[in-house]
Amino acid sequence: MTAPALVWTSAVELARAIAAREVSPVEVVQAHLDRIARLDGKLRAFITVTGDAALAAAKAAEAAVMAGGPLGALHGVPIALKDLVYTRGVPTTGGSKILAGWMPEADGAVATRLAQAGAISLGKLNMHEFAYGPEGVNPHHGTPWNPWDAGAHRIPGGSSSGSGVAVAAGLCAGALGSDTGGSIRIPASLCGITGLKPTYGRVSRAGVLPLAWSLDHVGPMCRSAADCALVLRAIAGYDPRDPTTSVLPVPDYAAALTGDVKGLRVGVLRAAFLEASDSAVRGAVEAAVEVLEGLGASATEVAIPRIDLAAPAVAAVLSAEAYAYHEDRLRTRSADYGADVLERLRVSAFVSAADYLKGQRARALLRDDVDALLANLDVLVCATTPLAAPAVGQQQATIAGAMVPVRPNLLRFTRPFNATGHPAASVPCGFTAEGLPAGMQIIGRPFDEATVLRVADAYQRATDWHARRPPLGAD
Amino acid sequence: MEPLTIDMLRALATDRGLALTDAELATLLPLVNANRALLAAVPPLGDVEPAAQYRIL
Repeated sequence: MTAPALVWTSAVELARAIAAREVSPVEVVQAHLDRIARLDGKLRAFITVTGDAALAAAKAAEAAVMAGGPLGALHGVPIALKDLVYTRGVPTTGGSKILAGWMPEADGAVATRLAQAGAISLGKLNMHEFAYGPEGVNPHHGTPWNPWDAGAHRIPGGSSSGSGVAVAAGLCAGALGSDTGGSIRIPASLCGITGLKPTYGRVSRAGVLPLAWSLDHVGPMCRSAADCALVLRAIAGYDPRDPTTSVLPVPDYAAALTGDVKGLRVGVLRAAFLEASDSAVRGAVEAAVEVLEGLGASATEVAIPRIDLAAPAVAAVLSAEAYAYHEDRLRTRSADYGADVLERLRVSAFVSAADYLKGQRARALLRDDVDALLANLDVLVCATTPLAAPAVGQQQATIAGAMVPVRPNLLRFTRPFNATGHPAASVPCGFTAEGLPAGMQIIGRPFDEATVLRVADAYQRATDWHARRPPLGAD
Repeated sequence: MEPLTIDMLRALATDRGLALTDAELATLLPLVNANRALLAAVPPLGDVEPAAQYRIL
């Protein structure tokens, strides 16, 4: 394979080709490092590139292949980590100035598991500071450039903005993100890639900087559902260092990708979701539902009765937990925070214990509502975000004829499922007239990532939105 | 729930060890009050318990 072909090859295919000795992990890693060197000056997806370590790991991976021993599922596949995953001996900044130069003494659980599966880390990815923002901007490391608009600087979505950009632009075959209010799914939607927020408790958060402990999820961001399935299998499972992880066994997600969704019951969230979306996004999702129906699934319009509880529940819980984590630094290092995150954290200081518990109680009711819907349905679908990528700095947008603030609307469709903990994926499902990607969100039952991925994969077998390449760096 | 005044917010900020200027307090006040209003609008939740509970095992 040529270098351009290597960087657009899926993680599944790279793993197969490396194991079959059709391509060397050294070639694969070098092709990605060359592309990072060529494009990341503008894209700003990476905060730290660990090129030497990646090449050394690639040479060891090549030797392992030639030795003929057992290989991990991601052997030799180049990935990258959001810069809040602890990496031993490698700076972990959380996208902040405050943690500049800090090097953890041990890897986070997900970094360890990816390495055990044979994946090779290319470095640490840019993000919204301390994961506290859905735009993905960063005043300290530069705001990543959404590669779907080569001319205008549009937000990639956040907080896992570097992960979204790096995967979309072919700088790595897959990445890890974290998601507290939509931080995997929002950049996945805005950057035209596939992202999965697993069920709360499916993937360990040990060794991951927190934003809000009870809402944080770690998950894969890749170019396809099949790649997400591969990465999820590698990182999922019980971890004694994270007491919220489940002891439920981890299924073989790839085996669930049968392409068959005949008879699957799909609930379409229209009220408060599709009805609150930009017409281009709504049209793309409605067309995607028709594709699923064409594949044999049945679609029914449904609504979450107490959806209005999502915003206050997440606001209270996220604010209180984020403030608790940052309390000391807010007193001593306030000048080192970026302006937007500092403002958000300061507002969070005034959430009372009663407010926090009100949020946690509201959250229980919302979870019950979603569980009730999924008792009779296999998945729910809606748009991931109500609008495509706005420009950096854009505060307002027109949706359904009304001028609305960008920030809360980016979070509007994703945060309910952080509150409930249900697994939720975003898959590309079309483009706006400006050529910007739109995403469809697929929500499943707790610990049924397999069905979410099966629907996403079946959709991707029938469409090619996920295979399109952005104009910035297309080759 | 009554909105906070700037003096009330200053007192709360001081209690939390946050040294905020008048300009900073003025910027925060509408945001804090909007957050409080959002939570105040939550309807009665009955006897539902919080989603996060202590578990010994």
